[in-house]
Amino acid sequence: MDLVKWDNPAPKDLWDAFDGLRGELDRALDPFRIPSAAGLLDRATAPAVDVLETEDEYLVMADLPGVDKHDLEVSVTGSLLSIKGDKKGERDSEKRKIFRKETWVGSFSRTIDLPAQIDAGKITAELKDGVLTVRIAKREEAKTKLIAIAAE
Amino acid sequence: METRERSANLRLANPACSIAEDAGLVTVKVEMPGVSKEALEIKIEGNELSVSGNRSLNAPRGHYILKERRAEAFKKFFTMDDSISRDDVDAVLADGILTLKLKIKEAAKPRRIEIA
Repeated sequence: MDLVKWDNPAPKDLWDAFDGLRGELDRALDPFRIPSAAGLLDRATAPAVDVLETEDEYLVMADLPGVDKHDLEVSVTGSLLSIKGDKKGERDSEKRKIFRKETWVGSFSRTIDLPAQIDAGKITAELKDGVLTVRIAKREEAKTKLIAIAAE
Repeated sequence: METRERSANLRLANPACSIAEDAGLVTVKVEMPGVSKEALEIKIEGNELSVSGNRSLNAPRGHYILKERRAEAFKKFFTMDDSISRDDVDAVLADGILTLKLKIKEAAKPRRIEIA
């Protein structure tokens, strides 16, 4: 297979050269240039994580594309939630030619300190479409309670 | 095969990808965690193979303590040369990775000529 040549015609005038340079700079500085949907690549050893607090639970969502359920370990110690795992790639054969490799393979870990007291007994984890969702229930006393106002 | 970013005006995400060739089969892997099959579109137009879609976070309402993941649209272009068969493209989305398998045309494969 032939590689398609990088299209980089010589600039026709000086300003074209500047435009090209600006484009290069924009690309270099653009945060979106880093594959952001991947999460694994832009944070060398830790996946991108969201922590969301709802009324009665904490939701931790992590982007883990290509990680197998069996290579993933989710644990809780006190209020620390730890996600550890191994992202495995395919074995390279000698004949295999690599044209581009942005995806990342290896082990990773991420520890998140959850703010309020959590109920370690009520934790569920689910891995779907490369996204890990951990649901951690809040303790009864940490939940927001509505106090009824007694009418006279 | 070369990728091209054409998101000059649009803030489009650029998912990580890897491209490898092995025994006449080109495998393109694009990472897209949390993207459903329905939110993904793969198109071949002439020499251009495009993968586009939307990623939604599917999160309930609540207060974010930490937010690193983004819900966004993404588009990725790949330019294919003539050696790649347009008709035989296999796409699988599993575990947040889209795997495209493209075949190299028989005529474009290197041929070994035996010396008589």
